[in-house]
Amino acid sequence: MGQRDTRMKKAILAAVAAGLAAFAPLSVVAEAAAPAAPVAAEAPAATTAAAPADAAAPAAAPAAAAPAADAASAYTPMAPTKGKGMPTDPTSGEPGAMLKSMHFQDQYSANGEYALWMHDMILLPVITAISLLVLGLLLYVVVRFNRRRNPVASKTTHNTLIEVVWTIVPVIILVIIAVPSITLLARQYETPPADAVTIKATGYQWYWGYSYPDHGDFEVVSNMLDEAAALKAGEPHQLAVDKRMVVPAGVPLRIQTTASDVIHAFAVPSLWFKMDAVPGRLNEKLLTIKEPGVYYGQCSELCGARHGYMPIVVEALPPAEFAAWVKAQGGSMPGEEAAAPAAAAAAPAAAPAAAS
Amino acid sequence: MASAPPLSPDAARSNLRTGALAFAGALAMLGLGYASVPLYRLFCQVTGFGGTTMIASESKARAAAAAATGQKISIRFDATTAMGMPWTFHPSQATDTVTIGERDIATYVARNDSNQPVTGVATFNVTPEQAGKYFNKIQCFCFTEQTLQPGQEVTMPVLYFVDPAMLDDPNMKGVEQITLSYTFHRAEEPLAAAPSATK
Amino acid sequence: MATTAEGFDIHHDHGHDAHDHADHKPGFFARWFMSTNHKDIGTMYLIFAIIAGIVGGAISGIMRVELAEPGIQYLQWWAQFMGGGNDLNTALHMWNVFITAHGLIMVFFMVMPAMIGGFGNWFVPLMIGAPDMAFPRMNNVSFWLTVAGFFSLLFSLFVPGGTGPGAGTGWTVYAPLSTSGSKGPAVDFAIFSLHLAGAGSILGATNFITTIFNMRAPGMTLHKMPLFVWSVLVTAFLLLLALPVLAAAITMLLTDRNFGTTFFDPAGGGDPVLYQHLFWFFGHPEVYIMILPGFGMISQIVATFSRKPVFGYLGMAYAMVAIGVVGFIVWAHHMYTVGLDVNTKMYFTAATMVIAVPTGVKIFSWIATMWGGSLQFKSPMVWSLGFIFLFTVGGVTGVVLANGGIDDNLHDTYYVVAHFHYVLSMGAVFSMFAGFYYWFPKMSGRMHSELLSHLHFWTFFVGVNVIFFPQHFLGMNGMPRRYPDYAEAFHFWHQISTYGYYIMAGSMVFFFVNILYALAAGKKAEANPWGEGATTLEWTLPSPPPYHQFETLPVITDAHDYHDHRPATA
Repeated sequence: MGQRDTRMKKAILAAVAAGLAAFAPLSVVAEAAAPAAPVAAEAPAATTAAAPADAAAPAAAPAAAAPAADAASAYTPMAPTKGKGMPTDPTSGEPGAMLKSMHFQDQYSANGEYALWMHDMILLPVITAISLLVLGLLLYVVVRFNRRRNPVASKTTHNTLIEVVWTIVPVIILVIIAVPSITLLARQYETPPADAVTIKATGYQWYWGYSYPDHGDFEVVSNMLDEAAALKAGEPHQLAVDKRMVVPAGVPLRIQTTASDVIHAFAVPSLWFKMDAVPGRLNEKLLTIKEPGVYYGQCSELCGARHGYMPIVVEALPPAEFAAWVKAQGGSMPGEEAAAPAAAAAAPAAAPAAAS
Repeated sequence: MASAPPLSPDAARSNLRTGALAFAGALAMLGLGYASVPLYRLFCQVTGFGGTTMIASESKARAAAAAATGQKISIRFDATTAMGMPWTFHPSQATDTVTIGERDIATYVARNDSNQPVTGVATFNVTPEQAGKYFNKIQCFCFTEQTLQPGQEVTMPVLYFVDPAMLDDPNMKGVEQITLSYTFHRAEEPLAAAPSATK
Repeated sequence: MATTAEGFDIHHDHGHDAHDHADHKPGFFARWFMSTNHKDIGTMYLIFAIIAGIVGGAISGIMRVELAEPGIQYLQWWAQFMGGGNDLNTALHMWNVFITAHGLIMVFFMVMPAMIGGFGNWFVPLMIGAPDMAFPRMNNVSFWLTVAGFFSLLFSLFVPGGTGPGAGTGWTVYAPLSTSGSKGPAVDFAIFSLHLAGAGSILGATNFITTIFNMRAPGMTLHKMPLFVWSVLVTAFLLLLALPVLAAAITMLLTDRNFGTTFFDPAGGGDPVLYQHLFWFFGHPEVYIMILPGFGMISQIVATFSRKPVFGYLGMAYAMVAIGVVGFIVWAHHMYTVGLDVNTKMYFTAATMVIAVPTGVKIFSWIATMWGGSLQFKSPMVWSLGFIFLFTVGGVTGVVLANGGIDDNLHDTYYVVAHFHYVLSMGAVFSMFAGFYYWFPKMSGRMHSELLSHLHFWTFFVGVNVIFFPQHFLGMNGMPRRYPDYAEAFHFWHQISTYGYYIMAGSMVFFFVNILYALAAGKKAEANPWGEGATTLEWTLPSPPPYHQFETLPVITDAHDYHDHRPATA
């Protein structure tokens, strides 16, 4: 585990360095070159942290004037890709849709891929084989030992060998299952690196709030779109929201969950991610999304009347676009206000410390 | 009323004994159900289960400082307010880097946004959960209830250190950052002020 | 069913009865309301379970019909019918009320009363050669407590529960949704209903333990007891040890709700996660409470219709003991996503998978019992065969869910719904129908129609599979539990599932017609209608058995090995 950790850490640092290098000095977003802008944006960010209301684009607009407004308009919600990050409709008519609807969604995280592999290559064959074995044996005894073919029953009631076999063989099968299962758990519990992008998802009755403590601590309040609005936006209804949880793709994320009132659960099937949001405590888990995309999820712990009406939409963007989105929300990227643009690329590792 | 033929006195006594034993077993489990509340709390406090932090004495803090090797760890500070809590509550800084074993102070800022005095009580845990055993608080605003007057803003300190023993724990391998999380709840009003309970 | 046994042959045997002490019966009120007779109480439990099953099944019908289409179709109407408002929130609240009521009714007022109260009361004393239960009057108290619990639950449907009438907390009643999250008395009545039913079950468990330990006929050693008695013994211990923990937990919920305590309220130093630990410490043994008596019945039936003693009797008995013991140390697999540390999750993953071993022993032993047998496919046997296959299917998906890392995706999805309905709606319910058709002639003295019970089996088998198999797909595709509304992508399989419900509901017609037919015109049942394979003591008595049996205790001698449970003279 240790080796993997260091390897992973290096890879992550490289990715983060690349990400920072991409947007900080080169100013992918034109106005990001102005080091004063994020500082100015600090003030409204602090107030939005207080009120869990709209921390959206309008809040940023008065602070940073024209350039920031440009940034706000630069972000348009990504259009979802059919069959990616959402359930499959078996009646869509696309080839393979029926089969796909009977199975897990495609996975877009490394742990999700591993878990899916484990399910498809180990669990599913094993449980199918066991079910068919039992079915086969039942059919065999029905055919072979019915009263017509076998009028006189044997009196056998013991066979030590077979009893030992059918105790030991399941144990062996379970051990075979346990090995990847424990490995999967170990991977799922790898801890996020210090500089992982932190997003805190808070469950409310009945909507989600996503706050970005390292990016100015603004909170995005996310409500479900009604059916008409969802269809108009080209999104699946019951799954679409007005404001998404936007994250960078390809870098480690520290997802933290908590709740304000009752227990909710933050779940995204295509990322193999589910974590309860419990009032009075914080849960945390590492998540790395492999590629940009829109990933739909739903609250997965009964939380009252509108339990089914507080979906989750994670939009993963390339890091540079994520930075632009953060600006558009009135936030700032960590390290920006502290490090001069020229130095930013050189000192990515220091970023989290500097952010304080 | 016809009933089953009466049991012999011996059989009846034996039944009563068995029945009483069984019933005593049920009562014991009932007691265990209630006892689980303090036992669970104690269990969490001792083992750090669920990310429960430790409370450290001065002497333990000194011992930890003596064992410090100079290695650093990042600490994240998280703040939440529960439903019905009219406070603004946030850490003074989102993250800090500290030397493992050495004590450090962090501050949170709370402001009462309502127009009446409000008493708050904080719950807390750390993530990842296995860090609970190594996260020691020497002083904390979460040890007691806090009352804020309307509009009052206070800065609240927490004095803590991370036990260097974490460096020897395989479960703590790879942990680069510990998040210390607080949630402020509105404390239960005194019973006299809560007429809603009766209906 | 309404009158057991003796009711049918009153005219037939009247002259004889009057002089027969064994059949001297009290008057109607004393007999049915103050009953201390284990067979009468068993009959009342069965009737009660059938009524509760109709209510619980009707509620699942409401839910399946609503789920046939995306969007909210009928919930608003139900909200108004139950006395709630006309807004969407109340309608959605009604959904939560339905899932809660369906779960609680099926668990506490259908499966448990039928299995333990019904078949347990009827046949445990008969199978061990006892004249009655150890505490006949307490037996009566148990029954009426259960009935009172049911009425408390029904009453809760019509009083305010927060966002609408009724308790919408789920059968798990998680805090804080059940405390600060649900204002109004509905949740209090629902909790109180669990108190009543739980108290009834604890008394019943005490009664069964005492009866089985103390009242066995001479020579009926523990290792000669029929497996059904073993299963009830293990179940009684599970009840005795698990239910008080639930009682403690829900009492704390009540005081949190009404008296200002903060056991599960973080604002007062409590922990909502502790409630889940307590609930599932009860809840996991509870699922074995619901299935173990079924295991026992299947063992009896498979042996009877194979004309062979049960294969590996001791292994079968101790597999149940093992399942019961291990069932107490796996509870947190219901809480994988709540925020457990890695070691805890690994432990519960491993411990949970261990349960597959004794369960596998049972399944293979049933098959081995049939192996070399002379199988006769009477109705109880086909239901048992159905049970073995469907329970296996439900069991193996349990192995999938046992993996904490896999559960991260499947937790609280329809996959879980499919899993526990395969083990309960098909496991427990199939075993109950098997037991019902097995013992109906004994209980009523009348033969049911084999044709109707086979038709019932095949239609029910198709129906429940059409309902629940597609729910695996829904779960894997991402459909969460406890949702009244869903994205268009889930429409197709939900619709199929609802068609399955119609088939299943139609199938129940065969069941009720069969009972009515048997009571009205069924052939008179012999003492042992099932032939030489039926070796337990109840088949030595007439059908129906006399009002008081075994006034002279049967003697089981050592000449018989423990696979034959009849007295030597039988």
